[in-house]
Amino acid sequence: MKLKKREVQEINTGSMADIAFLLLIFFLVSTTILQEKGVSLKLPPEPEDQEIAEIHDRNLYKILVNSSNQYLIEDQRRDNLTGLREEVKAFVMNNSIDPALSVSPDKATISIKTSRGTDYKYFIAVLDEVKEAYYEIYGARVGMSSEDYRALDLDKPTERDLISRGKDGIPMNISIAQPEKTL
Amino acid sequence: MIRKKTRAKAEISTASLPDIVFLLLFFFMVSATIKPMNDQVKLTTPKAEAMTKVNRKELIREIIIGKPINREVGDQEVISVDNRVIKKEQLTQWVMEQKETLPENLKDQMIIVIKADEYVKMGLVDDVQEELKKANARKVVYRTTPKL
Repeated sequence: MKLKKREVQEINTGSMADIAFLLLIFFLVSTTILQEKGVSLKLPPEPEDQEIAEIHDRNLYKILVNSSNQYLIEDQRRDNLTGLREEVKAFVMNNSIDPALSVSPDKATISIKTSRGTDYKYFIAVLDEVKEAYYEIYGARVGMSSEDYRALDLDKPTERDLISRGKDGIPMNISIAQPEKTL
Repeated sequence: MIRKKTRAKAEISTASLPDIVFLLLFFFMVSATIKPMNDQVKLTTPKAEAMTKVNRKELIREIIIGKPINREVGDQEVISVDNRVIKKEQLTQWVMEQKETLPENLKDQMIIVIKADEYVKMGLVDDVQEELKKANARKVVYRTTPKL
């Protein structure tokens, strides 16, 4: 009688690593680490304890958005926001040169006013352009791109120093007026 | 006489590789925080560029504004916090409650993240902001998605 020699069956584990890698990469790609990022803004205090600041017309850059999502920037009708960033930068950094633009960067105020019927998206688009203009100014002062400037971390002393150097003397005066019903 | 040395072929054992990779896999699975569910409101946040990161995650409270997913609730835009729909008059109360959860010295540092849908009307967003002003929670972050 012939004795059958039984070989021990072994599962090939060589491809295990590949399978695991595949899973690993899948999880790496699919899980976005929850990051709280957005456009920040500080709301003004309640009207009663708000001091009414007289702002000279030349120091005020007016942006209006009506309920049909059309822009009125410095009394001019616009269909889109191209060039707004450059204009805001020129307005803020005017330093009394052009009599129509701001006296000094710290006095310059950007006023954004929407209508109650404006879509949120268009308000964010304006706010984004204005804030980006400021970040570009800040970044340029410390020799950085606005993107790098925004990525600076307040918790690190060296980076905090850069942030304050960029901001120094140029407050981000963005005024959000309460929307009007009829506009 | 020259003896020929038999060189053993040096091979790195890859047997433990799956274990290492699995360890990594588990690490990522555990550490990746799953986004809190929002099953009340339809939401597409607008795109923006001038975004900054919020460092203090413990200070963040979220308000979601958009059209309800559940059609039975209606077609009107609603405000949702902690995965429930509330009226805007209740918002001040909610902010006060949330402030209570923070330690005393951080109460005024609370950051409100407004997650609103692109096509929400500014009227409603403003109503929310007015309530926030009343509750003295004036640090606001508009949640946006990066422009590609």
